[in-house]
Amino acid sequence: MKRLLTITTLIASAAFASAAHAQEGGSVATSTSSVGPMPVTGNVPAMCSSGPITGGDNVFAVGLLIDTATGLLLQNLTAPPKTISASFCNSRSDITITATPLVAQNFTGDAPTNFSKSVDFTATASGWTDSPAVTNTAAATNPNATQTRSSPFTGPITVSVSNFTTTGGSNLLMVADTLYQGSVTVTLAVAS
Amino acid sequence: MNPRKLLIASLSLGFALAGAGQALAVEQVSKDTAQQTVDVGGTVANLCILGTPSQTSINVGQMVDTSTTNVGRITTIGNQTVSLPGSFCNFAGTHLTVTADALLAQDTSTVQPGFSRAVNFTSTVTTWANTPPVVTTAATLNGGTPTASGFGGDQGAPKLTDLTLTLSQFHTGGGDNLLLVAGGYTGSVTITLGPSAAE
Repeated sequence: MKRLLTITTLIASAAFASAAHAQEGGSVATSTSSVGPMPVTGNVPAMCSSGPITGGDNVFAVGLLIDTATGLLLQNLTAPPKTISASFCNSRSDITITATPLVAQNFTGDAPTNFSKSVDFTATASGWTDSPAVTNTAAATNPNATQTRSSPFTGPITVSVSNFTTTGGSNLLMVADTLYQGSVTVTLAVAS
Repeated sequence: MNPRKLLIASLSLGFALAGAGQALAVEQVSKDTAQQTVDVGGTVANLCILGTPSQTSINVGQMVDTSTTNVGRITTIGNQTVSLPGSFCNFAGTHLTVTADALLAQDTSTVQPGFSRAVNFTSTVTTWANTPPVVTTAATLNGGTPTASGFGGDQGAPKLTDLTLTLSQFHTGGGDNLLLVAGGYTGSVTITLGPSAAE
């Protein structure tokens, strides 16, 4: 009889063998099966995007440049600022401002002696970084033209022009021209 | 009859009655013979097994629009499916549970206004019981409360089937109008198949 009971026990054990987490002591084991945590991944590329320019149009209209009584550049030239709206960078970013002087578009050749055909100015982009990005067209270098923001950001950028000066010296007369034109460029870029 | 022969015959009968428990009986069938019966019993454990998933991770790829007026915001992310063939429970009264963690940006720095670092999604597994488990994560824009769980209905009989996990309805935590911060995002999904009473 002892031998027979041993066989019986082996058979019963075989029935349990495929059951995970089987319990001992005679009660029926219950198993639960899980898969996971199954990783779910995705990515968002670092990017910058600039929105439209608001403030009427995309031209800084400075108007008449000279004092008609002297022919010299006016000292109080201004133009309403422009706003670049809906811009963003979703990572660390650099804002850079560059500008070119206002240059007479129709006058050809070099300016005669005692005359200038160019007006320098300062351009500023503020609102993106604590310190605005600033450039001056007369300067040899503009170390503050690029500013870095360490966090993602979205918000308006105010671009302004100021400090108009005659290229070559304030004592130079401005040559006549129906259009003096320069440019201001603001660039947002993902920073490393 | 030889008692040893009777004993062997009864043992065979015991196999046929498996499940009746272990017992030993001695019966006097005649004045000069004796019979012994040994029942052979066994049990089959309640067992649930999920099939090996067709993939061990889900990569939804690039998640934002890069070219339209919606640039920087979540784009349409197609449904993601994973099959678990040959899933079964050998007993009645079972259900599925799905637990999901929203996709969160690995960049844990403070979320700036106008941005979010979370992408929520809906997970469901079909088909086990009549009512599948459905869970939608509800992480906030800064990644808070990313975990959610959902239970399916009760399956009233043992079942063997191929299950399908589907991830869908990907949305930005805090609202799809928010920009998503750059970088890698990670979430997870866990499927559990087991007795309904355990929950």
